[in-house]
Amino acid sequence: MKNSNEQIESQIKEYMEQIEIPDTLDECVKKSIEIGKLKNKRVINMTRWMRNMTTSVAVLGLAFVGTANLSPTFAKSMSEIPVLSGLVKVVTFGQYDYADENYEANIKAPLIDGMKNEALQAHLNQKYLQENKKLYEAFKTEIAGMKELGKEGHLGTEAGFEIKTDNGEVLSIARYVENTAASASTQVYYDTIDKKNEVLITLPSLFKDGQYVEVISEYIKNEMKKEMKEDENKVYWVEDSEEGVEGFKQIGNEQSFYINENGKLVIAFEEYEVAPGYMGNVEFEIPTEVIQESLVSNAYIK
Amino acid sequence: MQKEIIDYIEENKEKHYRIAYSYVKNQEDALDIIQDTIVKALKYESSLKNREYLGTWFCRILINTCKTHLNKKNKVIYLNEMEDTPMPTFDQDQHLDIEEAMKHLAPHEQEVILLRFYQGLELQEVADVTEKNISTVKSTLYRTMKKLKKLLEG
Repeated sequence: MKNSNEQIESQIKEYMEQIEIPDTLDECVKKSIEIGKLKNKRVINMTRWMRNMTTSVAVLGLAFVGTANLSPTFAKSMSEIPVLSGLVKVVTFGQYDYADENYEANIKAPLIDGMKNEALQAHLNQKYLQENKKLYEAFKTEIAGMKELGKEGHLGTEAGFEIKTDNGEVLSIARYVENTAASASTQVYYDTIDKKNEVLITLPSLFKDGQYVEVISEYIKNEMKKEMKEDENKVYWVEDSEEGVEGFKQIGNEQSFYINENGKLVIAFEEYEVAPGYMGNVEFEIPTEVIQESLVSNAYIK
Repeated sequence: MQKEIIDYIEENKEKHYRIAYSYVKNQEDALDIIQDTIVKALKYESSLKNREYLGTWFCRILINTCKTHLNKKNKVIYLNEMEDTPMPTFDQDQHLDIEEAMKHLAPHEQEVILLRFYQGLELQEVADVTEKNISTVKSTLYRTMKKLKKLLEG
């Protein structure tokens, strides 16, 4: 008997072993582990951070956050910016740059200017500044680590911002961080400011009660299913069973969001939060009629 | 737990890559699958309740990621995946090598064969990974082996 079960088994193994392993597999696995760890940590950290954030926003009206402990360079650049009083705006502020053959960092922070609510302005500016400082330090540590291992590789960190909306009522700023190594990953953070009253708009503050979480989540889940049906290249982790891991259930109370130029609420997800990596940072514009009943007013959202 | 998962990923990466490759048949997609699987596994590590099931848990994510990937990429839709492919017709004395023979297997047949003999899972584990009951897995395996034998011998 030429082909006993054992012989077939060993042929199957041989057949599989001849599949060539690409050189890039090691790097791909390492990078994926890094991203995975980060995503895992972020799930935990974000909730913790959000909790703290809610408290700090609550006391913000009373507390005055001074600019005294900002770096001298920061203070200097501040003074070089022409100030148009009474006009809330964002000015570019290049902060950290680094470039050599293999490594590149370009980290820019938005700088909000012209607010009468100096406490809020200083709070935000300081937050941006400190986050960027941390990014730059992480970047330097990573370079040092790679150099120590004698590894040549490309490493890049790019951070910047984009004004999503700047109209009479609101200013929405998106800050992004892009890390490039074997593959790229991007994180985006949003802040939306009420320009007239000069307060930071939080997601819960837009709504009468907590029901919005369910209303928006249901809308997004249906939208995900619809998009997947219409376009087979789109994948969202919306079902539980399919991947053996938990699918998207609902948005967080303080889910990332911004208000776009048309005055529509846009809910944003991080990479890998609700979809595979190639889908990138996913966003959903929520039609106002879906949330109209829960909205406190139509001051920001039209 | 995270460290154990990472060790497991590192130890088995080549095996996992080959399994992914056997589904999509190209390097780029296979690497994409590896990345998505690892990120998903680490992100949702809390869904692994018992470390004893690390291997099956990870394989399930891998296999499902492969399938989702294929479904999205392929224009071909298997009307009924559970239906066995008919025996190909060819000359009596012709016999195939293993590579050719594997091509004649339906996706679910290949899956069971690879999980059992390449990944080295026990029957119950194969059943867990593929979310089928053990008797289905047993009979699929039995029939597929018979089929392979026939293909190889001609």
